[in-house]
Amino acid sequence: MTTNTNDELAQIFEGWSSTVGKPTLKDNARMTTRGVDVFYGEKQAIFGVDLDIGKNEVLAMIGPSGCGKSTFLRTLNRMNDTIDICRVKGDIHLDGDNIYDKKMDVVNLRARVGMVFQKPNPFPKSIYDNVAYGPRIHGLVTRKAELDEIVETALQKASIWNEVKDRLDQPATGLSGGQQQRLCIARTIAVSPEVILMDEPCSALDPIATARIEELIAELSENFTIAIVTHSMQQAARVSSRTAYFHLGRLVEVGATDKIFTAPEHRLTEDYITGRFG
Amino acid sequence: MTNQLNAIERLAEVKQERMQKNLKARYAKEKRFQVYGIMSICLGMAFLAMLLGTIFYGGASSFMTSEIKLTINYDPDVIGVTDLTDEDELKWADWRGLLSTSLAERFPEVSGRSAVRQRNALVSSIAEYSLRDRLLANPEKLGTSEEIWIVADDEIDAVMKGQVDRTVPESERRITDLQLSLIDSLEAEGEIRQKFNTTFFTAGDSREPEQAGIRGAMIGSFYTLLVTLLLSFPIGVAAAIYLEEFAPQNRLTEVIEVNINNLAAVPSIVFGLLGLAVFINVFHLPRSAPVVGGLVLTLMTLPTIIISSRSAIKAVPPSIREAALGLGASKMQMVMHHVLPLAMPGMLTGTIIGMAQALGETAPLLMIGMVAFIADIPGGPLDPATVLPVQVYLWSDLPERAFVAKTSGAIMVLLGFLAIMNLLAVYLRKKFEKTW
Ligand SMILES: Nc1ncnc2c1ncn2[C@@H]1O[C@H](COP(=O)(O)OP(=O)(O)OP(=O)(O)O)[C@@H](O)[C@H]1O
Ligand SMILES: [Mg+2]
Repeated sequence: MTTNTNDELAQIFEGWSSTVGKPTLKDNARMTTRGVDVFYGEKQAIFGVDLDIGKNEVLAMIGPSGCGKSTFLRTLNRMNDTIDICRVKGDIHLDGDNIYDKKMDVVNLRARVGMVFQKPNPFPKSIYDNVAYGPRIHGLVTRKAELDEIVETALQKASIWNEVKDRLDQPATGLSGGQQQRLCIARTIAVSPEVILMDEPCSALDPIATARIEELIAELSENFTIAIVTHSMQQAARVSSRTAYFHLGRLVEVGATDKIFTAPEHRLTEDYITGRFG
Repeated sequence: MTNQLNAIERLAEVKQERMQKNLKARYAKEKRFQVYGIMSICLGMAFLAMLLGTIFYGGASSFMTSEIKLTINYDPDVIGVTDLTDEDELKWADWRGLLSTSLAERFPEVSGRSAVRQRNALVSSIAEYSLRDRLLANPEKLGTSEEIWIVADDEIDAVMKGQVDRTVPESERRITDLQLSLIDSLEAEGEIRQKFNTTFFTAGDSREPEQAGIRGAMIGSFYTLLVTLLLSFPIGVAAAIYLEEFAPQNRLTEVIEVNINNLAAVPSIVFGLLGLAVFINVFHLPRSAPVVGGLVLTLMTLPTIIISSRSAIKAVPPSIREAALGLGASKMQMVMHHVLPLAMPGMLTGTIIGMAQALGETAPLLMIGMVAFIADIPGGPLDPATVLPVQVYLWSDLPERAFVAKTSGAIMVLLGFLAIMNLLAVYLRKKFEKTW
C-alpha cells in the first residue's frame, strides 16, 4: 500500500504492465538496476524500475516534474543515503558489484560514480583546489607534478582549460555560471569515474553555455558512461543515444533516442513528447 | 457585448486618484516608522553616553596619583639595621622611621604629637615597604641618601585633584588645616606632583587606595578566561558538529536540544552553586582559583557557543555538502574540509560573545570564593585570584573616597577589554570571510 494509489494514478496506469521497449541490455551493461523501489518515509517515489546503462553510452532520462528522475539518479551513487527518510529496495549493480551491499564502501562507490548537480556548486576555494580535491582525498596522487597534470587534463577535458589556465589560484566562485558548471564537471572527471550522473546540468545556464556543455557531454562519452536527467527534449535528442521516459515513479518506455522521439510506443510517452503535458 | 463596464474597467477610471491618496498614507507611515526608529536609536545612544560619561568622569582620576619628593637618608641608626642579610635584625627594622625622619627634616617647624602625626600622614602608610624593597634590592645604598618621589596618601591625592572643599570647617574634613598648609608649601616648591598611576596597573589589591591596583584581577581574569576558552571552544564546537552532522534525528536529540536551550537561560548563579558543590566539594579543587572559575564559566558559556555554532553550521549551503559527498568525501572530510571553514566565522563570533559574557560575570564566581581579598598577583590558574568584575564589586563596597574612583577605573579597564574582544570578533569574522 502506498499513498500514491489515487484515482488519477489508477487511471493513468490503467493497462500499464511493464516498461515498453528494451530496458535491459544483453551485454555491455555498466550499471544494472532490477526492481528498484524508492520510498520517502511512507511515500513511494520509484516503482520497480529495471534499467541498464551501457558502457560509454549517454542515457537521457526525461519525464514530467516530480516523476522521480532525480530520485532514481541519486540511487545510482547512493546520494540518497544522505536523506534520512529515504529507503531503497531492489538490486543495483555497477560492473557486477552490488552497490547497496554491506561490503560496498560509499566513498569508493562515489569515486566510481561521479555526479554533476543542477546548480553549479564549486567549493569556495581556488580553481585548482576544486579540481584537485577528489584526487587528494582519495590519495590518488603522490607527487605534485602528477596532480598538476591531472588537474590540467581534467580542465582540458571539461573544455575550460583555456579560460582558467592563468588564474588557477583564484576563487572558483568568481567564474561565470557556465564556467562553474564546466569546472564542476572537471572536478568530477578528475577522479576518473566509470559513470557520470548529471542532474539537469544546464538548467541554470544560458543557451551558449548549454551548447558548450552538450558538446562536452558528447566528447566525454568516449571515455565515460553518462546518465543525464534533462527537461529539454531537444537536449536529450542531441546528446543521448538512448532515452528513458519516467512517469509518476514508473519507467514507462526506454529505447533508442531517435525512436523515442519519432515513434514512441506508449501513449504517455507520446503525450509527453508532443507536449500534451509535462 | 455589453455597454456595462466591468469591475476592472471601472477601476481604471478611479485608479490614479485612489492610488495617490493611498500612496500618501503609505509614505506617511514609512516616515513615521523611520522617526520611531531614529528616536529609539537616539535614546539608546543617550543612555550609553550617560553611562560612559559617568564612568569616565568618576574613573579618570584613578589613572593619576600624587607623589611627594623627599630626601631619604638610609641611616642604619634610624632603621636599626646594620646587616641587611640578617633576617632577625630585619624583623625589627623601623622602615617607617625613614619616612618620618625625612619628613621631619623637610618640615622642621612642625612639632607636637598630633601635628607630627598629621605630618607623617602625608605619605602613603605603606610607602615604607617600597623603601624597604628598594634598599634590599640595592644594599649599597645603606648609609647614603637620595631624593625620591614617595606616593602620597589618598587623602592628599584627593586635595591635589581638587576633590576637597577647603571652605568646609576643619572638623568636617578628613584632612586638617595643618596638612593643607604643608601641601601648599610643597606645591610652591614643586615638591609634590601628579603623575600617571602605574601602580594601578602593576599592583594587586590593597587596603590602601593609593597602593591598590587591578593587575591581580586582570591576571585572574586572564587565567579564568583562558581555562574557559580552552575548554568551552573545543567542547562546544565538537558538540555542535555532532548534533548537526552526525546525531540521528530522534527523541533523544530533541530532548538534548531543548535542554541546551534551557541551559542558556539558567541564571548564572546556579552554575556557581553547581561549581561549589561539584568542583570544590566533590573534586576538592582549590577554592578561589581561576581553574574552578574557568570550569564554572565553561558550563555557562557552552550553551551560547553550541547554539551559535549550530546556526553557523546550518548556514553552510547544502550544495557544498552534496558536492563534497558526491566526490566521495567521507562525512568527516566533508565537515573538516568544507563545513567547518565556512562556519568558522560564525563559531568564532559566538565564542567571543560567550567569552565577553564570561569576562563580565560576577555572581557564579562569588559562590566559588573568588570574592576573597587577594593582594598577591596570581602566578597560575591554581593560585587564589579574583577577576575584574568581582574587583569592581569589592571596591564599590569600600568607604574610602579614592576607591570610588578606582571602581570606575576598573570598570573602564573592563569595558576596554570587552571592546577589544568585540573588535577581535569583527576582525576574525572579516579575516575568515575573506578566504571565501
Ligand atoms: N527529500 C525528499 N523528501 C520527501 N519527498 C521527496 C524528497 N525528494 C523528492 N521527493 C518526492 O519524490 C518525488 C520525485 O521527486 P524527484 O525530485 O525525484 O522528481 P524529479 O523527477 O527530479 O522532478 P524535477 O524534474 O522537478 O526535478 C516527488 O513526488 C517529490 O515530492
Ligand atoms: Mg529533479
